[in-house]
Amino acid sequence: MTEANTTPPVVVRLDGLRKEYGDTTALDGVSLEIRRGEAVAVMGPSGCGKSTMLNLVAGLDRPTGGKVTVDGEDLHDLDETGLALFRRHKIGMIFQFFNLLDDLDTLDNVALAAQLTGARAPQARARAMDLLDELGIADRRSTYPAALSGGERQRVAVARALMNRPALLLADEPTGALDSKAGEQVMDLLIDLNQIGQTLLMVTHDPNLATRCANRVIDFADGRIERERSLERAA
Amino acid sequence: MSAVGTAALAAVKRRKLQTVVIGLVVMFSTVTIVTALALLAATSRPFERAFAQQAGAHVTATFDAATAGEGDLAATAELDGVEAAAGPYGQLSTTLELPGSGPHGLPVTMVGRDDPAGPVDRLDLWEGRWPSAAGEIVLDDVPNAPSGPLAVGDTVSLPDGTSLTIVGFAYSFSETAGAWVTEAQMSELAPVETQMLYRFTENGTSAEIDEAVAAIEAALPGGALVAAQSYLPLKEAVTAELGSYLVFLVVFGILGLAVAVLIVANVVSGAVVSGSRHIGVLKAIGFTPRQVVMVYLVMVTVPAVVGAVFGTAAGHMLGQFLLASAFEEGGLGTVTVGLTADAIALVGMPVLVLLAALVPALQAHRLSAAEAISAGSATHRGRALRIQRWLGGTRLPRAASLGLGLPFARPGRTAMTAAAVALGVLTATFAVGLAATVTELDAVTKRRDDVQVHVLPSLAGPVQSATALGDEAIQEKLAAMPGAANVTANAQVDLTMAGAGEPPENVFIRGDSQQMGYENQLLEGSWFDGPGETVVTSRFVYQHHVGVGDSLTLWMDGERIELEVVGVVMGNGDGKLYADWSNLDGLGDALDDIARGVYYEVRLEEGAAATADYIAAVDAAGLGLEGTEPTKVGGYMITIISLSTTLTVMLGSVAALGVFNTVVLNARERRRDLGMLKSIGMTPRQVVGMMTTSMAGLGLLGGVIGAGLGVLVHRQVVPLAAAMAQIELVQSLLVPWTAPILAALVLAGVAIAVAGAYLPARAAARQTIAEVLRNE
Repeated sequence: MTEANTTPPVVVRLDGLRKEYGDTTALDGVSLEIRRGEAVAVMGPSGCGKSTMLNLVAGLDRPTGGKVTVDGEDLHDLDETGLALFRRHKIGMIFQFFNLLDDLDTLDNVALAAQLTGARAPQARARAMDLLDELGIADRRSTYPAALSGGERQRVAVARALMNRPALLLADEPTGALDSKAGEQVMDLLIDLNQIGQTLLMVTHDPNLATRCANRVIDFADGRIERERSLERAA
Repeated sequence: MSAVGTAALAAVKRRKLQTVVIGLVVMFSTVTIVTALALLAATSRPFERAFAQQAGAHVTATFDAATAGEGDLAATAELDGVEAAAGPYGQLSTTLELPGSGPHGLPVTMVGRDDPAGPVDRLDLWEGRWPSAAGEIVLDDVPNAPSGPLAVGDTVSLPDGTSLTIVGFAYSFSETAGAWVTEAQMSELAPVETQMLYRFTENGTSAEIDEAVAAIEAALPGGALVAAQSYLPLKEAVTAELGSYLVFLVVFGILGLAVAVLIVANVVSGAVVSGSRHIGVLKAIGFTPRQVVMVYLVMVTVPAVVGAVFGTAAGHMLGQFLLASAFEEGGLGTVTVGLTADAIALVGMPVLVLLAALVPALQAHRLSAAEAISAGSATHRGRALRIQRWLGGTRLPRAASLGLGLPFARPGRTAMTAAAVALGVLTATFAVGLAATVTELDAVTKRRDDVQVHVLPSLAGPVQSATALGDEAIQEKLAAMPGAANVTANAQVDLTMAGAGEPPENVFIRGDSQQMGYENQLLEGSWFDGPGETVVTSRFVYQHHVGVGDSLTLWMDGERIELEVVGVVMGNGDGKLYADWSNLDGLGDALDDIARGVYYEVRLEEGAAATADYIAAVDAAGLGLEGTEPTKVGGYMITIISLSTTLTVMLGSVAALGVFNTVVLNARERRRDLGMLKSIGMTPRQVVGMMTTSMAGLGLLGGVIGAGLGVLVHRQVVPLAAAMAQIELVQSLLVPWTAPILAALVLAGVAIAVAGAYLPARAAARQTIAEVLRNE
């Protein structure tokens, strides 16, 4: 049997990725591959370019140079609408500060992602309800974000990110705004998701998060990959 | 529901303040726009419109019934140049004795007419019904006039004892009669005159009217025509009375329109601009740029549509009420708020809101998701650091210096907030100024501060005594009455002027005319100081192209008066000249033959008995004269002032709401800054102080700019409006604000900005730091 048959396909490929903001270079020729089912943590000091890289992988921003390919899609070829459709279908994203829509209750925040793909509201809500149930916050379905705890908000954000069964789940400091207990719960959630095959790319300052959730850690410094480590995930 | 619908409607539902403010701003603006459009439509050629509504008579002709038979008169309707004719109607010049009116009746022209409608002079029967039997009468009065002594059901009587019951009130815009009875009733009264009403195809000038009348006269037996009253003097009188006020109304209408549009645009774009983080989140979860734009357009359109619907309904009712009181009660016919105005507002406002939202929404369209999502929390490097450092070095409390520095950190947002404040204050300044100008215009033109009593020949009394006594003696008697400080006698004389087609209006004044308030109207030169000098109105200058230093020659029967123009006064939209009475001496015998109307103006001593006492003394003196107060601020003026005030209040409210909304959104966005500052030890009071100082600074800046622009716009627009009415305005009308009022207007900007900042700042200051930060 060939290696191609045994090795999972590449989900994310970064090729000489550069991003400059005026005179400041945020990313300086980053190349990287992430395969399906991997959980990769990007670590590094503030301003090292890790969140910039995440934004470029999510198609939230455009690189100055280099190439981003996600699930076979070259983001360079996509216009703004194409990028939105790409995010809608292939990316789930979790932010440090949750970025839930304050105007929608929990259920609609989650269901909205499915509605974007054309699902009717009742079907979208039914799937959202299943997810909220799985994540243990079904009883908070009618609550608005302002009344949720940080851990609850992040679980809603995770549910929203998973709604369209994304090829890649991106997490930007997912436990950064949570207390330790809520952080633990989110970590467990991410581990569970990865164990059922969800590819995960996260950016974090938290070594505990990285070692518990990731099976590969990439250290960034000054916009470049400083080193890569493979990990045996902690039990 | 689609994702766009879900996100947009949720925002409409949850962002209550924004939804309510947009709805209210749109509603008030729509009310303003409907009223303004109705106003613009109604002020377009009001005389012509009212005249056309009643198919007014170009000529009201009186014939000798004995000379011209009914058949002859009816045949004149077929003459060339006669567009339509009504009549013949029996006509009687008589007096009506009113209940309790004493020995002297009310002179009236009574006409026998079976139908208030017809091809000419379609009467507005605004109360009661038309006479259908003998013994019934309808009186002429403007619709809904302030209730006089008579009402439907009252009885009046003719000198022969015939008793007539009032069954209605009608209004003839052409002033064809003072009362109407049935034709049968008129026949019983054996009238010696017959009335015919004509409309002519050529009717624009006196010459055309004269020519048409001459053709009628030629078609009838000699001496049949007793009198022919042209509509042109009426047209001039109405036009002069409305004068510049209409122009101000037009300006107010246009201003209301412009300001409403600007404020709606400001509020709506503010809502979009303040939503950048929301836009970023939408993009991050997969909304396409077009869908994001749609979310924002739907979000602002829903309250806008609701506001436009309610605003149109309210504007229609308010406009109808205002127009009815402005025009119908002024005798200018029925004016309705047209469906066009409703349709324009109903469709136009949501479209305007869409356009206003489209510009910032398209900017959001272009914004990358990463930029949008970090808006408000992203740090901004190096903006206005020098100013902030300087403020930090001042002796101001740190909270205040930080607050004052905040606006410089985000110049775009600062500019928008300041623009909202400036716009609001500009509107208020202009509106207050315009209302004050209109009020002051009335005071100056009517010389309210200087003339307290007008004395005219009594309508109800015998007229011989006034002429018997002579105007000099009357003037002396009036001056001798208690409380009189100055009395002038004023004569209007039929004179022709060299080089002018129409005889000029003129007033020859005897007495101390300098004391009668004309000098407050002086635009150029000085008041006349004796014979040989004249002062003309600014309209006269426009009409006759004369100025100070020019000479005028007035003629009568070969006698002439030479006058030099020594001054120009503002006037009341009429072209008139004023000169000393002694100039008439040059006319010699010619003066004895002319019909001259003399009236008297009285300035009372300060602190003298009430005006009413003087008037009572005049009435009691048995001179055949009656004293009246100068026309109260009433009729058009009350309406115009109330209209100005209503529009001012509406525009001011709209502007204040707009400012409040922008500041609230602005302040809310900075709650994270506030949380940060609290986390490093700032007290809640300092937080509130900093935020309110920041907005107070902006409010002050916007207030100063707005007040300045308001004054500037007023100074540009008002003279322009006056020029359209062919008058010039005195300086006091151009600067109607006092320093305290201007200061109050500037402070209003500060107050609104502070109020807008205080509520969210206080809410943020009360939250725990973790809560504020977590909310990000």
